[in-house]
Parts: sequence; C-alpha cells; structure tokens
Amino acid sequence: MPNFKLDDREIPFEKGETIIKAAWRVGVEIPHYCWHPGLSVAANCRMCLVEIEPAPGGRAMMLDIMKWDAAKNDYVPDRKPKLQPACQVQAVDGMVVRSTTSKHAAEARAHVQEFLLVNHPVDCPICDQAGECKLQDYWMSEQRTFKRMRDEPVHKPKGVVFGDTIVYDAERCITCTRCIRVCDELVGDHMLDLRERGNRNEVVLAPGRKLEGDYTLMTEHVCPVGALTSSHFRFKARVWTLKETATVCPGCATGCNMYLDVDPREQRAYRNRPRDNEAVNRFWMCDDGMMSYLREHEGRVVKARLGRDGGREDSKVPAALDRAAEAIAKVPAGKLAVLLGAQFSTEDNLVLAAFAKAVGASVYLTAKAPWRADKILRHADQNPNRAGATAVAGGSVGSLQDLLAAAAAGQVQGIVGLGADVDVDANALAPLSRIGEVVLFLSHEGPLARFATVVLPAASWAEADGSFVNAKRLAQPFKRALPPKGDALPAWDLIARLGRAMNLDLSYTKLREVRAALLAQAPEAHPDSRPMAVSADAGAQAQKGA
Amino acid sequence: MTATTKVIRKPQRTMADQSYVIELVKGLGVTLKHFFKGTRQMVTGTTPDLEKHPYADGIATVQYPEEKRPYAQRWRGVHRLTHRDDGSPRCVACLCCSTACPAQCIYIKPAEYAEGDKRRGYERYPEEFVIDELRCIFCGFCVEACPCDAIRMDTGYHMTALDDRASFIYDKAQLMSHVGQDGTQKSANPRHEPGDPTHPGVTRLHGGH
Repeated sequence: MPNFKLDDREIPFEKGETIIKAAWRVGVEIPHYCWHPGLSVAANCRMCLVEIEPAPGGRAMMLDIMKWDAAKNDYVPDRKPKLQPACQVQAVDGMVVRSTTSKHAAEARAHVQEFLLVNHPVDCPICDQAGECKLQDYWMSEQRTFKRMRDEPVHKPKGVVFGDTIVYDAERCITCTRCIRVCDELVGDHMLDLRERGNRNEVVLAPGRKLEGDYTLMTEHVCPVGALTSSHFRFKARVWTLKETATVCPGCATGCNMYLDVDPREQRAYRNRPRDNEAVNRFWMCDDGMMSYLREHEGRVVKARLGRDGGREDSKVPAALDRAAEAIAKVPAGKLAVLLGAQFSTEDNLVLAAFAKAVGASVYLTAKAPWRADKILRHADQNPNRAGATAVAGGSVGSLQDLLAAAAAGQVQGIVGLGADVDVDANALAPLSRIGEVVLFLSHEGPLARFATVVLPAASWAEADGSFVNAKRLAQPFKRALPPKGDALPAWDLIARLGRAMNLDLSYTKLREVRAALLAQAPEAHPDSRPMAVSADAGAQAQKGA
Repeated sequence: MTATTKVIRKPQRTMADQSYVIELVKGLGVTLKHFFKGTRQMVTGTTPDLEKHPYADGIATVQYPEEKRPYAQRWRGVHRLTHRDDGSPRCVACLCCSTACPAQCIYIKPAEYAEGDKRRGYERYPEEFVIDELRCIFCGFCVEACPCDAIRMDTGYHMTALDDRASFIYDKAQLMSHVGQDGTQKSANPRHEPGDPTHPGVTRLHGGH
C-alpha cells in the first residue's frame, strides 16, 4: 500500500483517496467543516488547508504577501507557500503533508475560524449543538483569539421551520452545504439549496417544498454547527449530560449501528445518533430509526400481570412465574406452542428455544408486519432479529399464521410467547381466545397482550445486553443503556427462571452462559462471528459526530 | 536518645480560689453591669443601631425576626429568578446552572416561544424551573454559571424551617416571587430584548446592511 507522510506519521492510502480521507481512516483528524466521509467533496470551508511540500526537484508554489512587521510599524514584503485543501488533493506516494506542524496552515485555520465567527451569534448557552459543535472545538484547538470585528453582525432568519423534523437558524449556519449534499446524494431529492452570496448566504428550501422523506434527520446529523436542529431534540437536553451507549437500531432488519444517548440522572433516552459502520449503514439512519429511542418509554410493560379480560390484576414477578409454571404444567403433552420473538435479542430467543425443546413444544415466530422499504437503508422486514430467532430455532420456524391454524384445529392448548407483535390482521387472532393458558414475556404492549393469562415484564433492547442478526446475516451486539424499568428483567433470565420453576434444566443465570450456548448451537448468530469487518471503526471513533 | 522531661506543676490554688465565691461574685458583676447598661440604653433610647453598627459594643442579642442583622451583599440566601421589564423571567433555560450545580438540585424544562413571539428563534424560556432547597448546598455556582444574570441568591432570606419536605421544592412562581435585598425583582444589568434598537434585529433588513 502506498504511503504519504502527514506531519510525522506515515499514512497508508488507497489509490485515488484524498489526504483527509486517508488520515480519517487511521483516526487522524485534519480540521474540517464541509468534508464528510459519506459525502462528495465541496472544499468550501477552507478549514482543512495543509501545506504540501513540493515533489523532489519540484518548485514550491509560493505567494507574495505583505506581512505586518510590528517593529517597523508597517507591512513588509514576504512569501508564503500556497496551501491546499486536504479534502480535495489526492494523496500521492511519498508526499509530505504538513498539518499541525505548519505555521502557515495554523495561521490560515485561525483566520478561517475567525471569519466563520464574524457573524455568528455565539448563543452557545441556548444552542443544542453546544458541547459537540465544531465551531467550539476548533475555536479551542485552532483559534483562541477574540473577535476583532466591532460592527453589528449580519442578521439572518432564525427559527425557520424546514419541515416536521428540522428547524433552521441561518445566523449559526456556516453554509458548508453538508445538508444540501445529504439531500442530493443520500436521498436524491434536491430539497435544499443556498441563496445569496457572501455573508448573506443561507440555506433555503426549494420553492413550494418542505423538508420531507425518510432521511430528514440526517441533515441535522451532518450539520457541524447548530444551524439545523431536530425539532424532537430541540431544547430537550444538553449534550454534556447525556451518556452514549453503542447499540443497534431495533427498527428494521437492516440493523443500523447507532448510539443511544441517555441522561443517567433521569434514566431517560433522549436521542439516537448513527454509529458509522461501512458494512451496514455507513454513516446514516432513517428518520424512523432515529426516533426508535421513543420505544424505550412508550407502551412499556413494567409489571407482571395475571388474568385475562375483566379479571386482570397486577402481580409480582416470582408469583407470576409460579402461576405460569402451574399453568403450563396443566397443558397436555404436545399441545404447548412456543412463540419466538423477532423483536427480541438472539439470546432471549435461544433460551426460549431451549425451553421449547425441554418441554417438547412446537415452535413458531411472532413478528411485526412488513413496512415501507427503500433502496437506501430501510428493509421491508421491520423486525431486527428475524434471522437470529430463526437461527436458534434450528433454521426454520412456523409463522404466527401457522400457529393460528394449529390453534383453530385444536392442536394448541397453551402458548409461551416472547413479544406481543403480530404480522396478521387483528381479527384473525380470534382462535387465541380459546387457548386456556397464554404466558407472554413482554417489553411492550401489543395486539397479543389481550390474550395473555400471565404477562411477565421483559427488559427492552435498551435495557439488556444482547445481539441482533440482521437481514445480511450479520450478528451485531448491543449494550445496555438503561436499567430495566419497573419489575422488568431480561427476557432470557425470566424464561430461565420459569424453566427452573418447572424443574427443567435451564441453568442460565448470566449472559455469558447464554452466549456460550449460542456459540455451541448457532455459531453464525453469535456476535463475535461477524463475517464483515467494520472497516472504518477506528476513524469513526475519532470522528464521532463529525 | 535522651528523653527530655518537663515537669508541670499543679496550679497553686488558694482557699479563696477554691471556694469560687469571689469569682462567682465577679462574674455576677459582669452580668449586672450589662444588665444595667442594657436597661439604661433601653430606657434612654440609646441602643446602638445594628443596621449601622453591626459590631458595636453593647447588646449582641437580636430580637429576630423583628430585628435582623444586615447581611453582606454577597451573602448567599434563598434563590430568586430575576424579572425582565415585562415581568417574565430573564432565564433563557440554557441549563448552565443545573449543569454547574454540584448537588443536582435544579430542574429546568426548556420550551420554545410560541409562533409569532418576537423572542422565538432567539431565546428559549423555562417552562418549569424547580429548585430542591433541601438538596441545595448554597454554594452559589448557579449564580456564577448564569450567562443572563437570571438567578441570584441575594434575597437575604434564610431557608425557613417548614414542617413538610414538599414545601422546600420551590417552583418557578415561588422563585419569581422572591425579592432581592435591594427591594427589586430585577437585576441592575441591562438586557437587550429582540426588537430593541440595542438588540440584534429580527430580519436581515434590520441592521441596514
């Protein structure tokens, strides 16, 4: 692989790669605003200017300048090398690039930074971007001087509503055009453009349009400053109080990698951010995925529940487990069905599949119905773990439709299920009301919940470690971001407890043991068996929020 | 190594000391001196003014709460939220105070001004502003952190003893009802409202560029 030298470090690059991208891949950041690894090169912010030494034997491109000489109290003629944008210059083998070691580059960046802040309102205390703002970061690292302009700054529109999800503040905008390029290149819909020039430059909507579609929040995600804000997250929290957890979107079978940001003081999820993974979602997520953090708090089951219809009452988990064990024991042999859950982690499903094997039950899968897919990220299957649940069931599993047919034929008298989601019409569920015992492990309410005779509160995907297998058969682990709500416990733990209450051999008490069993039974669904390497992970870590 | 020994002699007490009678009478004399002095000052109306001479000789007892010792200007009492000219809080709900608070006793719920409000887009406001005065350690970091001079601890109030904990959770209305030691609910620092000639204009046409 060819190399070039950036300051004192040798950096490998692929042919045709730019300096900034090769550096980003190895986790070295050259200051930049307009460049984004997932977008085309605009080279308009001039922040990534670097000094490139002339090729051996070549002549340096020098500029004649006038330099202020304090001793003479006058400008004197001087020369300086012509700086070049690292985002646009392709790396060449043996090239010598100076970024942090060039005083000319440092000076240029300080001045670019000062220009960007000339008309900036500096309303950091009420700006949602404060704390993760590139203007703040680069002020600290590249500028460190106060504004010299004493005139009134140019004023532009504020609080402009671009659509249902985005509010725009033109005064904070540095017109880097990242949002415009997201619309053009990711979505392919030219909804945004620039108007005016110079210090009146601002981003505007195409006439007659509003910012719409499934990727509007990506415009906010790529905004390096606080110009575009999400109307959901706007004013809700300060980013420095949030704690990020590396997790996976539960929205569909694509399994976009993301960070879930929670406030540990309030135990509340505040937002999702895409986590760069070139093998899955690159740098992006759809709007529904970005809003999936709301699931953590909406429609949750946090208490055990006994009884059906009118006779429903809350209970404690141990009592409900005993009641469930009794109920299942009453079901005649061969008449018990187990319903795996495509919304739950592979670990949860593995323990439930082991339970099914131990009691000799037939196995089915419950899942959410397909939704609107697109060619970018959204997968038609809105279940994050259909592949994982199928893998632990031995490769094939009946659907809820099959279970309903069996129930109608009187072959099922008891159900143990994971999740309350259905992929059939709600009216088609009628046969379930004839089934005597339905034990459900639920993190969320759903259409199946009303048939349950025993409900046990399960942790959501954000409340337990686990893994999903996406549509590409890529097993991806996710971390616990919050403690389980109410009486909830991880579903695999509840199922293992139920098994022990029934004197079955389900000895799992730690996730480690479940993962070991997973490795033995379905190694392809184990999160350590990732077939595709996460190529840009180092760079992604270094450029988080870039 | 030689140990040095210091001999401490027992105090020599005389019979007079040992009986305590003389010292007792001396002490009673001090009490009586102040009793008569205080009575004389009370009768002749020459009791020193604690407002003017807080550390003057004389009676140190303060008839609280009828009389109050003056507090230093920097004395940190119960919080107040300062007002703008129109009576709304100066606070812009930036959460700097709750960030700085080491006791995590401040809860703020920021909100956006309604469509059409001249402050919309420029500022936000606290829909809720709650301080748990039981958790507060009166360090004053919130006052230091505030970029708008919106929270102050210059009320001169002590935290009152109340008979239930809920009464110590001060909400926005309570905090805004407090008055500063200077008797006003505002702050001496000027504030530029959106639309004022001193404030950045609302549109690009405002500044005459």
